[in-house]
Amino acid sequence: MLDVIPVSKNTTNNINNRQLIYQASTAILPLAIAVIPWGILCGSLAIKVGLSPLQAQLMSLFIFAGAAQLASLTLLGTSGALSSILSSTFIISSRHLLYSAVFREHVRNSSMMVRCSIAFFLTDEMFAVTCAYLERNKSFSYLYALSAGITFYLVWNCSTFVGIVAGQFIPNIEDLGLEFAIAATFIAIVTPSIKRFSTLMSVLASGISVCILSITGIEHALIIATCIGMATGFLTASKDKNNG
Amino acid sequence: MDNFGLVLLGMSCITFACRFLFFYKKLPFELGEKTKLALSYTAPSVLTAMWVPIVFLSYQHIEQSFFTSPFLIAGLLSILLSLKFKSTLLIVMVSMTLFITLQLTY
Repeated sequence: MLDVIPVSKNTTNNINNRQLIYQASTAILPLAIAVIPWGILCGSLAIKVGLSPLQAQLMSLFIFAGAAQLASLTLLGTSGALSSILSSTFIISSRHLLYSAVFREHVRNSSMMVRCSIAFFLTDEMFAVTCAYLERNKSFSYLYALSAGITFYLVWNCSTFVGIVAGQFIPNIEDLGLEFAIAATFIAIVTPSIKRFSTLMSVLASGISVCILSITGIEHALIIATCIGMATGFLTASKDKNNG
Repeated sequence: MDNFGLVLLGMSCITFACRFLFFYKKLPFELGEKTKLALSYTAPSVLTAMWVPIVFLSYQHIEQSFFTSPFLIAGLLSILLSLKFKSTLLIVMVSMTLFITLQLTY
């Protein structure tokens, strides 16, 4: 009897785990499909700026940050300095600091291995679906977070690979306007996140200043505009309550 | 690309460090409320600073006027859709379809 119980418990656990993995992958799949054009663009642009196919794939395998990769490729294309590549990477990635701070209480007691894996697979999309799970079930599941993250990772790397191959055969693939998919994705992420007056102000400030800075040809437009947006949000936060 | 190794290593370390920092057990500091508040504006600000130039400034690269640019028209459609629908995939697919259609007709 004693032998049977743990076995049957294990089987239910296995089924539950399998369900959890299935749920996580299906939850993130639509978001993963939406970034396929972006992955293709990253792959083909890497080839265009002179990286070897292997180097292009290594970026997606190790860095796994679409926005930072794309910005760095643009800088590499204009032979930007290492320092400006790394500083823009930091600014673009700094939003992950917040995600990691939000997950801290849920993962701080997990093993080093689990914490490292969750950190590595932590993206905007994984954060979004894991937060939704957290809200529904009132508990954090590292299996759910990791399954979502790994699904996203696989799709991202496959689409980079497609871009690398296509970039070698189809000239000017970056003129197709694949970057529009990025704009649409970001709009779909940002708009629903505007729930406060101050967030609206930070988005407006960041958008208007990036236009002005880009038109006047000032360097580091992205970094400066982001900082202006953050400062505006922070400074208008006191108005939030008055505006509901 | 001579310093590609450095770029790859540096970028990998920075992205991983940002994602891992608060998973570190013996962190010598906790985030104050003000820092958390400031950080909560990072995602909307940085994402906006990236999509706005694509939608509003891409016309400069494609020999289209500002108002007839597929980037602008399809971008405005995705903004409208995002006010009404929550599905990222739906928004991307519908506005991408309009974008491609416009590009083909011009």
